[in-house]
Amino acid sequence: MTAIKHVLAAFLLVFILVLLGYYIRPENPVVIIICFVIIGFFVFNLTIRKSLAYRRYFESKYNLFTSKVRSEKVFDIPEHLMFEKIIEVIDNSEFKLIEADRGAYEILAITRMTLMSWGENLYIDFETKGGKTIMKCCSVTFFQIYSWGKNERNWDVLLNKIESSLTI
Amino acid sequence: MAIIVNLDVVLAKRKMKLKELSEKVGVSTVNLSILKQGKGKAIRFSTLDSICSALDCQPGDILEYVE
Repeated sequence: MTAIKHVLAAFLLVFILVLLGYYIRPENPVVIIICFVIIGFFVFNLTIRKSLAYRRYFESKYNLFTSKVRSEKVFDIPEHLMFEKIIEVIDNSEFKLIEADRGAYEILAITRMTLMSWGENLYIDFETKGGKTIMKCCSVTFFQIYSWGKNERNWDVLLNKIESSLTI
Repeated sequence: MAIIVNLDVVLAKRKMKLKELSEKVGVSTVNLSILKQGKGKAIRFSTLDSICSALDCQPGDILEYVE
């Protein structure tokens, strides 16, 4: 899947450059139409990103316009406490809590847009196994094929904050 | 060998709820619950001081070492 993504990214880049070179004329609407399609797709993603309901869309391996990094960490704390703890940690960090489903123990947090990225969606859920709580996290870059290591850094930042918050 | 947290015992003796203690010491109920269950990584002297002050007890009443 990663190879397809790289080929697609290269193809898109070449395609856009060719289009710009040959068709950029005031009377030719092709470039304008393509720009509108890209902007429309961007706005669509921007609109639906702040909802847990579209989690599968962003996390899907078939969504080639997002970059995903999945990680998990085991904690010796009950699931319901861990859930509340993560909400507390997110509230005291640079992440912004968007949605927390207390029934399904699912959390959606986002990072703000910066010069380096359009922002990331952080989907967190929990699983209890053998008395331990497994925190599963999927960091998804928004409208960005490559994460440039931002996803991994987000995960590290969150983990460090959780660890330090366990000193009460 | 372990350090046992007897916060629930002291709370029961004082007939105080965790939420009430949380408001008195300025530590969230989540953190106090984690502490109560002995799942915390460490406890600050300032937190211990606040808890002992609010519950009118000694640190030894809250923390116990067992072999």
